[in-house]
Amino acid sequence: MDREVLLEARAVSKSFGAVRVLHEVSFDVHRGEVLGILGPNGAGKTTLFNMISGDLKASGGEIHLAGTALRGEPPFRRCRMGIGRTYQIPRPYSGMTTFENLLVAAAFGGGRSEKESYAFCAQVLRDCELSDKANRQAGALTLLDRKRLELARALASDPKLLLLDEIAGGLTDEESKDLVALVRRIRDRGVTIVWIEHVLHALLAVADRLLVLNFGEKIAEGPPAEVIALPDVQRIYMGIEG
Amino acid sequence: MTMTAVPFADAGLPAVRVQRQTPSGRIALTLALAALVALVAMPWWASTGTIRWILELCCYLAVAQMWNLLAGYAGLVSVGQQAFMGAAGYALFVLAQTYGINPFLAVFLSLLVPAVLAVPTYFLLHRLEGPYFSIGTWVVAEVFRLVSTNLPLVNSGAGMSLRVMKDYSAFERNVAMSLLCATLLLVTLGGSYWLLRSRFGLALIAMRDNPVAAASQGVQVGRLRFLIYVAAAVGCGLAGAIYFMAQLRITPGSAFDPMWANLAIFIVMVGGIGSIEGVLIGTLIFFVADRWFGEYGASYFVVLGLMTLAVALYARTGIWGAIARRWDAPWFPIGRRLIDPQQGTKGETR
Repeated sequence: MDREVLLEARAVSKSFGAVRVLHEVSFDVHRGEVLGILGPNGAGKTTLFNMISGDLKASGGEIHLAGTALRGEPPFRRCRMGIGRTYQIPRPYSGMTTFENLLVAAAFGGGRSEKESYAFCAQVLRDCELSDKANRQAGALTLLDRKRLELARALASDPKLLLLDEIAGGLTDEESKDLVALVRRIRDRGVTIVWIEHVLHALLAVADRLLVLNFGEKIAEGPPAEVIALPDVQRIYMGIEG
Repeated sequence: MTMTAVPFADAGLPAVRVQRQTPSGRIALTLALAALVALVAMPWWASTGTIRWILELCCYLAVAQMWNLLAGYAGLVSVGQQAFMGAAGYALFVLAQTYGINPFLAVFLSLLVPAVLAVPTYFLLHRLEGPYFSIGTWVVAEVFRLVSTNLPLVNSGAGMSLRVMKDYSAFERNVAMSLLCATLLLVTLGGSYWLLRSRFGLALIAMRDNPVAAASQGVQVGRLRFLIYVAAAVGCGLAGAIYFMAQLRITPGSAFDPMWANLAIFIVMVGGIGSIEGVLIGTLIFFVADRWFGEYGASYFVVLGLMTLAVALYARTGIWGAIARRWDAPWFPIGRRLIDPQQGTKGETR
């Protein structure tokens, strides 16, 4: 991979008291690539995202975005630096409409004026197939639409790096295919993506590389076909004894 | 190869419109402007007693709306806003009575005191969560009361009288009170409406609904909460200064009376939290109840308490919430309805 590195994690660790959640995890994400992150529940995947987005502070190690070290920057500043994220459990602004949810991200994260944001958000809604629910209260959306809203809202902040946390969970095969197509379109626009996902076929359809975590440690990293074939990954992640 | 990220939805953006106002909103705005004119014209149509009543009503509206901003949007449930009412009230009395500054000018100068006091108070309290924050605000108000009780500058526990008001005729006082009432509503209710319709209104509602997500989408949650806290302190301060100017007397007990927190909570809970309409409805209910049943003393307060409890248990969005669910006709619309020619305009208005 000869592309410029956008995100660089060096020996990133996180402990909550005596409980070690992540231990010296290092990896690079190159501009324009899709890195998939796999791992069983409790492997530290979401904790890793929380440290990249600034929701949690790392106990050790360093994270760099486009060469700039991320140290004490709070989440709002990291968003303005170009880090967009979704949450595993959707966090819509229930008292707002779907359209207004996107406006928040476009106006504050994306730095657009409110007027400029209108057409931009309307297009993001179309791209994420939410146009017909633009004026519906976000609290009244179905789970599937809430997941779409998470993605649409992250996109509305114009991210350079998009962190997707299990957005395919609970989707049908057909919906997963649509989602993969959407993620590909986002990638083709030059947005770099890190995607945590348990729905393996969705992830394999779009990921350029995979990184596997287990009990807070990196156990594999590389091209998807090679990583999936590793005995440790087969045993730990898919429960297949070699 | 180096790829440059371009906005996902950059090319060929759709021609859309956004609707901000509604027919019900236009009617309400017209009525609100008419009410404002009627307020300013009070000396020519209302008796001094009526002006006193309306002044109290305006103070209730202002204090309740400030509490609504704090609790309904910033998630800061304060039971100590009387701290800033009393601080501004005392500042007015000291400036006008002790230092001889024109009392009508002193009303506005006195606002510096709650603004300045709100800064260290917030930094003291903001690390406290939920009920601990609430208790903290109450403790701060009690500390202010104890300080005023022991401060010779404000005549300690004996309180102060605003004797300089004798220099003005009853008509002049009525004109000033009417203008101050109009200013109070313009600043607190009008200011809130303007704020909620602005882009910061988006951030406020996002912060209320999910502060973690709001922060991850570029909203400076901490700063916004701080600014709302200071703004609410100034709004309550203005209400306090005007209220005690009309009373002509201030004592530590009246200045820092927890009754103000009680009535703000009652008004907002019963009327409907997170809406200006709810504050208007709740204030009218409280005002009428206070005038009609106030003579029954303790039993009247028990009824108000039970009413708040019933609303909290069975109608958490208050009276306005119940109305809004049935009729999509906001009086003060703050929402944005997207009109995308491809999709039509289905949806609700806030």
